[in-house]
Amino acid sequence: MTIVIETKDLCRYFGDSEETMVKAADHVNIEIEKGEFTAIIGPSGSGKTTVLHLMGGLDNPTSGEVELSGKNIAKMSGGELCDLRRDHIGFIFQSYNLIPVLSAEENIEYIMLLQGVKTSERKKRVKEMLALVGLSGLENRRPGKLSGGQQQRVAIARAMASRPDIILADEPTANLDSKTGIALLDVMKELNEAHDMTFVFSTHDEKIMSRASRLIHMRDGKVELDERK
Amino acid sequence: MQLVQLAFRNLFRNTRRTVLTVLLISFSLTALIITDAMMRGMTDLIVKSITETLLGEAQIHKQGFRDNFDIDLFIEDTAEIEDSLSNDPTVLAYASRTISGAMISSSYNVTGGMVYGIDADAEADLSRIKIAVETGSYLSGKPNEILIGKTMGDLLEIKLGDRIVVTLTEANTGEMTQALFRVSGLLHFGITEIDKNIAFINIDEARKLIRLGAHGAHEIAIRFRNPEDAKNTALAVFTNHNTETLESLSWLQLNKEVSSIIEMSSYGTLIIGLILFLLASLGVINSMFMSIYERIYEFGVLKAIGTRPLDLGLLIIIESLLIALISCAVGIILALLISEYTSTVGIPLGEMEFSGLAMSDRILTQFHISQITELPIYVILLTVMSGLYPAWFASKIIPTEALQRSL
Ligand SMILES: Nc1ncnc2c1ncn2[C@@H]1O[C@H](COP(=O)(O)OP(=O)(O)OP(=O)(O)O)[C@@H](O)[C@H]1O
Ligand SMILES: [Mg+2]
Repeated sequence: MTIVIETKDLCRYFGDSEETMVKAADHVNIEIEKGEFTAIIGPSGSGKTTVLHLMGGLDNPTSGEVELSGKNIAKMSGGELCDLRRDHIGFIFQSYNLIPVLSAEENIEYIMLLQGVKTSERKKRVKEMLALVGLSGLENRRPGKLSGGQQQRVAIARAMASRPDIILADEPTANLDSKTGIALLDVMKELNEAHDMTFVFSTHDEKIMSRASRLIHMRDGKVELDERK
Repeated sequence: MQLVQLAFRNLFRNTRRTVLTVLLISFSLTALIITDAMMRGMTDLIVKSITETLLGEAQIHKQGFRDNFDIDLFIEDTAEIEDSLSNDPTVLAYASRTISGAMISSSYNVTGGMVYGIDADAEADLSRIKIAVETGSYLSGKPNEILIGKTMGDLLEIKLGDRIVVTLTEANTGEMTQALFRVSGLLHFGITEIDKNIAFINIDEARKLIRLGAHGAHEIAIRFRNPEDAKNTALAVFTNHNTETLESLSWLQLNKEVSSIIEMSSYGTLIIGLILFLLASLGVINSMFMSIYERIYEFGVLKAIGTRPLDLGLLIIIESLLIALISCAVGIILALLISEYTSTVGIPLGEMEFSGLAMSDRILTQFHISQITELPIYVILLTVMSGLYPAWFASKIIPTEALQRSL
């Protein structure tokens, strides 16, 4: 059993003075194992986004540690974090993940270009990924000509194509209707099972969270409950 | 690739804004090119006006003559100098002149002035005296001919064919001498100083009157085949005739006032250029910021997925570079189209006298290769520099903050 991400007493406080300080993450201890399909759930403002950003090296914690594949990233510099995110983390956000002036194919290629992946390899992976997320034939469409669900699939394909250790998705279905949302989650689940990709995603939606194999309940920046099915 | 391609496509996200920015920069470049072409045209006009009227592009005098036109300081043997000038391949034309202060009187009035003895044929190739004849006719070499400026004519209350008496001083002796002339032509140069003060007579008569001998003269005016040669002090015209007794100077040295005006006019272009591009730069900065603000969320995502800040900054700089390149192409084409008209038809001025120089009524703009090479390079540099601040701003975007912005 491999641990992909581990947080140790992770804290992220906002605000300067005692009274106005918000504890967006408050001594959070989470271990994410390889191949897990985890949902972080909790009411608005409970700290889901904060924890995902900290795990992905997008933000620096006030205190505590984040280990990614055994490496402590909490103290890394901006440049190191940037390369870390490029090579080891896949991000999917709620919406507008894609570059509007690039086609689906070019969007999927983007991170691979940053990584310096060879053209032939890139083209191969693009094809493969488009097939995996069920978008074969739409490679030349720009995001504006894709539905919300299709755009999110391209975002998943882009994340997958860069071969990250883990994909972090912050409310990836929040802007989709529930049928499309569930279909998107099925794609993620499929990638999780068939390709052993580790996913952590946040959601409000009951139907969505029911698909997760592990639920981390958050409230006021704290982990309230961590249940594995 | 990528960055350039991405930058290029980004330009068409808000085509209207891009077009407006391009127009702003290209109009500035066009204005700058036309200003430069106008300045060149004007300088040319001034130079021609000064060199073609009377001065020529170079002059040879006896040392010291220019200080106060001492009639005794004349070149005794012009034949030798004229000989060498006629064999000089850089020289187009030359003419010897006598110059002396005189009293000119009609039956009604009297005035002081300068009387030039000129070689009618030689002057025709060198100065505008022949062209300036408004009424009557140019000198033909017949006895007692005199050309006087219109203003002087008005002062003396005379008309064509009237008799006037010219009182001169003989060289060396200082004796007064008088001669009677018949007004054969009235001149209009459009330059008050000349129209009011100068009269022209045949040089042979002048030489006899003031006793300069058959080959004496006070001045030899020279015109080059290539007017630019006036700046080349290493030329034989200058080196051969600058001796202990003679001086040979270009018009630039003879008329310091005008040469400094010309020097200053190039600063004019510079200042206009700076103002134009300060304004254009602000426009560029403004539009780049607008386009960045619209994309803050997108930039947040790009950074989140591993784009380096430098690359993001570079993207913005490439965007401004592309805008600059397109603008330069548009600006140059526009400027060439406009100068197609202004260099042939000209920009009307109305008659004016500028610092003692007659200007023709229009400026023909002048093309110069630097207008489409040098000026656009400045424009590109300035535009890219204007992109630096927005680029820096974009590179500093913090992804967690950018991602919080709801669209
Ligand atoms: N940059 C910030 N400055 C100040 N407070 C912040 C900042 N970011 C987050 N917070 C606060 O931290 C707390 C947790 O926010 P977070 O975005 O992690 O919640 P969330 O669980 O993702 O909520 P939602 O379901 O609405 O997305 C909130 O109270 C929020 O107001
Ligand atoms: Mg959130």
